[in-house]
Amino acid sequence: MTRPAAPGSVIVPDWQESAEGKEYLACILRKNRRRVFGLLERPVLPPPVAIDTASYKIFVSGKSGVGKTALVAKLAGLEVPVVHHETTGIQTTVVFWPAKLQASDRVVMFRFEFWDCGESALKKFDHMLPACKDKTDAFLFLFSFTDRASFEDLPGQLARVAGEAPGVVRMVIGSKFDQYMHTDVPERDLTAFRQAWELPLLRVKSVPGRRLADGHTLDGRAGLADMAHVLNSLAEQLWHQDQVAAGLLPTSPEDTPS
Amino acid sequence: MGEEGAEGTVHLLCLAASSGVPLFCRSSRGGAHARQQLPFSVIGSLNGVHMFGQNLEVQLSSARTEDTIVVWKSFHDSITLIVLSSEEGTSELRLERLLQMVFGAMVLLVGLEELTNICNVERLKKELRASYRLIDSFLGDSELIGDLTQCVDCVVPPEGSLLQEALSGFAEAAGTAFVSLVVSGRVVTATESWWRLGMPEAVLLPWLVGSLPPQAARDYPVYLPHGSPTVPHRLLTLTLLPDLELCLLCGPRPPLSQLDAQLLERWWQPLLDLLRTCLPLGPRALPAGFPLHTDILGLLLLHLELKRCLFTVEPSRDKEPSPEHRRRLLRSFYTLVTATHFPPEPGQPEKVEAAAHRAQVPRACYLVSGAEEPGTGWRLVALQLGPRLLLLLLSAQSPTYGLRGLATHTLHALTPLL
Repeated sequence: MTRPAAPGSVIVPDWQESAEGKEYLACILRKNRRRVFGLLERPVLPPPVAIDTASYKIFVSGKSGVGKTALVAKLAGLEVPVVHHETTGIQTTVVFWPAKLQASDRVVMFRFEFWDCGESALKKFDHMLPACKDKTDAFLFLFSFTDRASFEDLPGQLARVAGEAPGVVRMVIGSKFDQYMHTDVPERDLTAFRQAWELPLLRVKSVPGRRLADGHTLDGRAGLADMAHVLNSLAEQLWHQDQVAAGLLPTSPEDTPS
Repeated sequence: MGEEGAEGTVHLLCLAASSGVPLFCRSSRGGAHARQQLPFSVIGSLNGVHMFGQNLEVQLSSARTEDTIVVWKSFHDSITLIVLSSEEGTSELRLERLLQMVFGAMVLLVGLEELTNICNVERLKKELRASYRLIDSFLGDSELIGDLTQCVDCVVPPEGSLLQEALSGFAEAAGTAFVSLVVSGRVVTATESWWRLGMPEAVLLPWLVGSLPPQAARDYPVYLPHGSPTVPHRLLTLTLLPDLELCLLCGPRPPLSQLDAQLLERWWQPLLDLLRTCLPLGPRALPAGFPLHTDILGLLLLHLELKRCLFTVEPSRDKEPSPEHRRRLLRSFYTLVTATHFPPEPGQPEKVEAAAHRAQVPRACYLVSGAEEPGTGWRLVALQLGPRLLLLLLSAQSPTYGLRGLATHTLHALTPLL
């Protein structure tokens, strides 16, 4: 099995903060808001710049109430529902993210399609889980820092959901990290988990996004800055996986950059 | 909002009929400001008086106070809905239809079985939360009118035949007969089978799609209140452009993952420019450049047999009154003419006795609204010709003697569209 890429080994970290990166980000923004793209659309760059788009399907999994829908909404720069209710059925969200590759200095437009499905819909309707897992390129496992059970459920989730797809990228995200005062998941447990599973583990805060001057529109740039580490990390693991699958990288663990 | 002071509040209560346990309460001002939750004692009394009547085999259906109308309705002896409205121009007809839509929405999202056979109230309450968004959209100031007219809100696209062709081809490729293209909750075009959907789902499905937060695609379980209230179907939606969605109604197949980029690109990419011209149709309903008399401020055209309608308050946007006010004027005028002047639409149980008077059915009527002095009120005119009913809102300058001619002319011009 492929080991995950080390952070910063595939994607230039913080490139989106550079002048060049900001130019590219402009095509997924409009008047400082995030642009929403239909399935027939993609970001348009000024004519001389033509870049490749790499599309990936990502299934977001985790116990009910950990914040799957909220995470996807944050990644897409959309409003996070104020009151929690279980997601009805499957919903997918497309997020475009330009990133620069370390090896070739090339910019690639990543197109992530997040698949989010409510827990009770998964249980009630047999067709939902297979549809979510079908040809997925990555699994994103969510737990909440304020819900111990959701963390303890991770090994079960990993086996249940990603068990039959061993070669696929798996990442773990801890949500509601801002509420560290009430955390149910201490650091030592995370360390143990990391050692046991060797999976990339990220934390996200569940704080309201910054607004533009009008007071109610979400600030697209600020939202991207909040979520850049997740998007870069996903891009990194997925690109790395493709390289390995195409035989462009050595697969033995010793040679994996660390 | 608010300059006319015409907003009231609508409160909606839903209770389990047998136990009287409230399942949910929603109100038109459920948002941040002026949250007025009804006290539990009021909810209890409202339900109590209805139940008291029922035990004596008296059906309490509505009551009026100085500024509020209350309407009760029980569904399947299991769910009681109560609505209180202090909105100006509201009526029993409007509120009865609202309750039918609300119950339809509840069935759509949780299924009839759960509603008629309540084993676990707490679980039902939790499941019903999924319908709040849709129900709230009936209570607020919606741009649509299908909740009241019980006709599907439609728009007329340019080059409809091209869209129709692509839709049929796509439907066949996707393996389902029920497909429609929806812009902001209004149907742009649909397959024959989709048009044959019964009420209320024909109105509810596009409305649901328009009320949900934006998603690239969905696989949404729905129970059809008329066609399949206990066995769920799947509503698949694919957002071609923001606010423009393909909707498919299907059984176990095809999986959502099968409706991939290639399939969409093959059928819809060639029509991208045409699809873009559909986007502004949401509020406008009519194709750009459709000639309308300059006095027209709002329009509602109903086809009572096809159960479709066109509704817009876009013409002469720069003039008074505001779009919200225009919608309210047309809504209450529709309620008035339907409740008092015009024959019931086929299949409407609520005014059966009126059928006896078919011989003396009026064909047109008009109303001058809000006039404090002569020649200042908005004109409203209704005209029925065959299966079509046209309601127009006109500026105060429009001479009353010309209203009927203007309405007749407009109806003739619109006839090829719906």
